[in-house]
Amino acid sequence: MHDFASFLPLVITCAGALLLMLYAVCPKAEQEKASLMSMGFFAVAFFAQLLVVCTVSRSVFPETFNGLLGVSSFTNAACLIIYACGFFTTLSSHTYFRENHFATVEFYSLLLFSAVGMVLLSMARELITAFIALEIMSLAIYILVGFNRASSRATEALFKYFILGAFSGAFFCMGTAMIYGAAGSTRFESIAEWLAFNPATTPLMLGGAFFLLITIFFKISAFPFHAWVLDVYDGSSNPITGFMATALKTAAFALIANFLALSGNLHDSWITGLFWIAVFTMFGGNLIAIGQDNIKRMIAASGIVHSGYLLIALVAINSEHFSGAVIAYYLAAYSVATLGMFAALSWLGGEGEKRVNFDDFKGLAKRQPLAAATITIFLLSMAGIPPTAGFMGKFYIITSAITAGQIALGVLGIISSILSMWYYLRLIVSMYFHDAEEDFVVNGTSLASISTVALAIGTFAIGLFPLVL
Amino acid sequence: MEHTVNYLVCIPLLPLAGAFVLGMMHMFTCKNPLPEKLYSFLAMLGPLGSLIFTLIVFATLREMPAESRYLTQDLFTWFSVGDLHVDMGFFADPLSTLFLLFVTFIGSLIHIYSIGYMAGEENFGKYFAYFNLFLGSMLILVLGNGPVVMFIGWEAVGLCSYLLISFYTKERDNVLAGNKAFIVNRVGDLGFVLGVAVLFWGLHSALGGAGFDYLNIKASASSLTGGAGLAVCLLLFLGATGKSAQIPLYVWLPDAMAGPTPVSALIHAATMVTAGVYMVARFSFLYASFPLAGDVVAWVGILTALLAAIIGCFQRDIKKILAYSTVSQLGYMFAGVGVAAYSAGIFHVFTHSFFKALLFLGAGSVIYGLHHEQDIWKMGGLKKKMPLTWIVMVIGALALAGFPPFAGFFSKDEILFMALAKGHWMIWLIGVGVAGLTAFYSFRLIFLVFHGEPRDQKSYEKAHEPPPVMTIPLIILAVGATFAGFFNLPSFFAGDSMVSTWLAPSLLEHHSEASRVTEGVAMVLSIAVVLLGIFYAWKTFAFKPQDKPLTGFAKWAEDKFYVDEFYNAFIVQPWIAFGRTISNFIEPNIVDFPIKGTAWLYGVLGMLFKVFQAGYVRVYAIYMVIGLSLMSIFLSQSL
Repeated sequence: MHDFASFLPLVITCAGALLLMLYAVCPKAEQEKASLMSMGFFAVAFFAQLLVVCTVSRSVFPETFNGLLGVSSFTNAACLIIYACGFFTTLSSHTYFRENHFATVEFYSLLLFSAVGMVLLSMARELITAFIALEIMSLAIYILVGFNRASSRATEALFKYFILGAFSGAFFCMGTAMIYGAAGSTRFESIAEWLAFNPATTPLMLGGAFFLLITIFFKISAFPFHAWVLDVYDGSSNPITGFMATALKTAAFALIANFLALSGNLHDSWITGLFWIAVFTMFGGNLIAIGQDNIKRMIAASGIVHSGYLLIALVAINSEHFSGAVIAYYLAAYSVATLGMFAALSWLGGEGEKRVNFDDFKGLAKRQPLAAATITIFLLSMAGIPPTAGFMGKFYIITSAITAGQIALGVLGIISSILSMWYYLRLIVSMYFHDAEEDFVVNGTSLASISTVALAIGTFAIGLFPLVL
Repeated sequence: MEHTVNYLVCIPLLPLAGAFVLGMMHMFTCKNPLPEKLYSFLAMLGPLGSLIFTLIVFATLREMPAESRYLTQDLFTWFSVGDLHVDMGFFADPLSTLFLLFVTFIGSLIHIYSIGYMAGEENFGKYFAYFNLFLGSMLILVLGNGPVVMFIGWEAVGLCSYLLISFYTKERDNVLAGNKAFIVNRVGDLGFVLGVAVLFWGLHSALGGAGFDYLNIKASASSLTGGAGLAVCLLLFLGATGKSAQIPLYVWLPDAMAGPTPVSALIHAATMVTAGVYMVARFSFLYASFPLAGDVVAWVGILTALLAAIIGCFQRDIKKILAYSTVSQLGYMFAGVGVAAYSAGIFHVFTHSFFKALLFLGAGSVIYGLHHEQDIWKMGGLKKKMPLTWIVMVIGALALAGFPPFAGFFSKDEILFMALAKGHWMIWLIGVGVAGLTAFYSFRLIFLVFHGEPRDQKSYEKAHEPPPVMTIPLIILAVGATFAGFFNLPSFFAGDSMVSTWLAPSLLEHHSEASRVTEGVAMVLSIAVVLLGIFYAWKTFAFKPQDKPLTGFAKWAEDKFYVDEFYNAFIVQPWIAFGRTISNFIEPNIVDFPIKGTAWLYGVLGMLFKVFQAGYVRVYAIYMVIGLSLMSIFLSQSL
């Protein structure tokens, strides 16, 4: 029964997805109502998860469902982030689809389904379960990316993502097979037992872990598997881009952290590899972001950089007492800022996403002072300026790197965050120091604007009250 | 005895909270201001609340045995780096309590007065927000448990003085005066910071990680070596010359008259300028062990007193005269603390705050009554129109001149007598001379403003007595200026030196004994000099005074000995030229060039990477395969 309590939020989400699917069949179904319903489901799931975090004691078996899924403080935090991302994405979608008319009820159902996949992925303690969760998540996301069938850009994005995603999914299967060959099991528990007596550098184990990691690197857009991210983010609709950038990344990082924390043995064998990937991801991402004129592409590229920071945290995790607090904190900080950016873009974009380039934001501070101020807050948080959450997140990551003896990585992280000022400040400059060229106005309050403000407050709230998990 | 209490924080916090609330209210209702009554009421809560808490502190301290009279409250650890451990906390002992008493009391009176003076001004709310902030900052300065917490208040009063001096921002001169006050104060602040840093450097091994506060500093002060100790004393004194307007940094105070008159009263009487004297007295245990530093303080003080008194004799702006008189009186105070007569110096701060607040607020009434006329040569004969103001101003002038039995007499005479008793007869002699000058210029002001014939008939016609909200504080202050001196009646008049006894536990001073005869002779002599000054002023200005252009030395003194021009030519201008050189040459060529180069390099690299984002999914797949292959090679080598 205790097991079941921990999965209550998941059940709620799943039930919500199915109910919406049924609702879609109703002749009178309206997408606006569906969006409100899914908002409710996400909110209920979030609070149920919060209740689980606060009330269920730690004595719950860390492994449940016969070792297929596991619950820990880290997975709880990841689930909270995923539900919150879902909630704010539906808020943005509600506004976005007032202007852009291609949503149907299934859109929200798929959103809930992808959240189910993500939550499962972050809790997975078994490789085949992880693969199924990955596919639940990915399939839903593929459809969401290409939801606007009338737009060739969205379709193109969908196909790119789908082909490359299938490509990387194949690696996951292969990796699973190899690990099974080495350890004789796909359950994390058994793999950890095996690793306790065998080196992680046996060819099968090394190869298997390598393929698994490649899939995850693809999902989190680490270098050199990052190339898809710009086109896909650019092609999909604003709320979905925000959702992909945050919730999906959270789930993927939860899986990779859980996997690498299995044994010190395994983690140690990957430190050098992760080190270089982190460095290339940070600097490659920065260089790509510098060259972008489109905000969505810039944020996509900056998402690569943030994956690089999170990889630093992965290098520095301590598998003896793994809590993942640093990773969860950074993911929360990053998610708040990124979702806020996309909520603001959904709010200001109007029909057909009119505001996408740096130039479109010129003089926004005069026309929409509130929006400009909130966007500035999000950008400063992403750049890591105190007292925002982004600063605290970077601070923890770099401190943890230094504690783990990875001083070089910490220094490179700092340099990279200085470089990232380039493109974040560029947007602030065009909002505040240039005059507007065109006067495109959005009227009225919308849910997206409320969520933008709420997230801006959240950026400070998380920064001022660092959660220590 | 329990020394830890939990209400000290309320004393500075109440005005600060008031400042916050008023500031917010003003900010959000800029366009259609709230009624002034509301602001006035809220503005009064902070100062009065602080006054009540101060009285509680005073009563509690009195209950304690004299040798261990202090209260502390530690809020939290502010920071702790290496051996430096600073707690955010407050510390009340007899010295700080005396300051608290008159700061909150006089501060409250000036608040009340301001309600009348500022009535109808725009930015009424902003004014009171700054005022509360000013008072709160001063209270932090006085109550801080160590030099670092004191520094918060030290900086904050500097900021508030800037905000209030340039309160009428529409005129450029006011803004410049505010800037000047701020910048000159910064020079002093640098000295203060360096002094505190050297103090910590000299003591850190003796402190050994204990809190960097007065109690611990005092306990370990003996481990300070000669050179470091002298440096600390002199650097701290440099800070004091900035805040308390002494040579060489006194130049900001006369210009600070640009602000509204109650602001001047607050700066001159209750806050800000007394900070320097307080700080020197607070560190009396250091100055007492380094007599050379004390001598420097005393000499700078007395020379400032002389210089300011001479300049004051030739000014024609009523507020400028009072400003120079403040500089001059501050000089006395420093002479007092410099010759290690700390309680005498502090007592003069105490009495001065009464009569200077009185004089400024009285001058404010005159200015208010004459609709912003400040030139004393355009006044005259106001006695009939403003009898109450006349009476209180005369009381203030008598107290300032140091005529018995008004407040200034006892405190100033105490300083001069202590200087003589400790063998500084030159300082005593100059001090007596300054007393004569003081009497002269203060009665020059009285005679020109209130006596004789009105010289400007038009403004004389319009002159009127201010409303009660302004006159009541004047009367209270006048009572104070008359009787405050009796708090520290010396044994010569069969008194028991109450204030000195009260302060004794906080200060490190040795009372020198001198014969009663010397004391009597010195006193008679200084009264004689004061009378001479008043007589000369009466003879020159009471009947048909001539406003003729000054020549020679007088002209020179009227133009303040061209000190400002000197500073401008030899410090400000070279500094500006230096800055300009940096901004025109070093900045663009040496600093910016490599930065721009780096930026350009990254721009090019970024463009290069953009090229790789070809948009073809097959190309992306190839990247993945290449990456995979390279990583596989790398991995196979580690096998």
